[in-house]
Amino acid sequence: MELNNEMTAQQSLRIITETMNNNRRDILRNSAKYYILWGALLTAMSLTVFLLWHFTGKPVWNMLWFAMPAIGYPLAFLLGKKDEAIPNNLIGKPTGHVWGLFGALSITLSAIAIFLVPMPITLIIVILFGCAESVTGLLLKNWAVIIGGFILAVGGAVAAMLLKGAEQILLFTLAGIVLMVTGVIVKSQYK
Amino acid sequence: MFPKLDPLLHSELRLALMSILAGVESADFTYLKAQTGATAGNLSVQIDKLSAARYIIVEKGFKGKMPCTTCRITQTGLEAFENYVKALQEYLR
Repeated sequence: MELNNEMTAQQSLRIITETMNNNRRDILRNSAKYYILWGALLTAMSLTVFLLWHFTGKPVWNMLWFAMPAIGYPLAFLLGKKDEAIPNNLIGKPTGHVWGLFGALSITLSAIAIFLVPMPITLIIVILFGCAESVTGLLLKNWAVIIGGFILAVGGAVAAMLLKGAEQILLFTLAGIVLMVTGVIVKSQYK
Repeated sequence: MFPKLDPLLHSELRLALMSILAGVESADFTYLKAQTGATAGNLSVQIDKLSAARYIIVEKGFKGKMPCTTCRITQTGLEAFENYVKALQEYLR
């Protein structure tokens, strides 16, 4: 089959472009709710730990952080059950891997810091968080997210060295808000 | 001399299916139906045609107790799709 006129070629290209764009937009818009979920959870958890530590004076409340994946993953699973049909695409999958790696590193290093080798864990996690955020921005091609992640990593590292005790936890409240804002940006970018 | 267009891809629904599958790992029937707005019957026929040409792989399984058909583009399908787009661009020059 050969094309008889230019219009048909344009129609074919339009079908390809529109289908690919709609598909990409729907997949990425769907991922926004996970940023909002983890951001809200991080904000709530950090405020809980901060308040308990602040009022009791016991840093042992930091153990509550280990409950975060136990709460977050079932919630994310329930959230994903509604959209089982949404496939992975070339952006959604790597961003999921980036945040999965961030979570795995944070949990492992926190456990090592508590039980084996003491280390400035807030400093490390806030830098990792900023990196994950910036890489997400690079994948989404969104400068606000790239710069936001960079500022969070650098500013958070400085603040982690200056703040002491329970106040350090408020950095994670800020990180949670940044994550929620990322979700809102993704949602509006692909509406 | 313009290149010949692949007749299998030169159909609105099959082209839309290939455009979706080129950008994802795999997609299930429900998703493809929602994205293309096609009827289940027509979609099945077009998926069978693409599968017969080895442009896509169709896997039938279950999600829980519900039957689930998943489609995935093959390397042959991807090359055919790329050649189709290149041929279209030649026409538009």
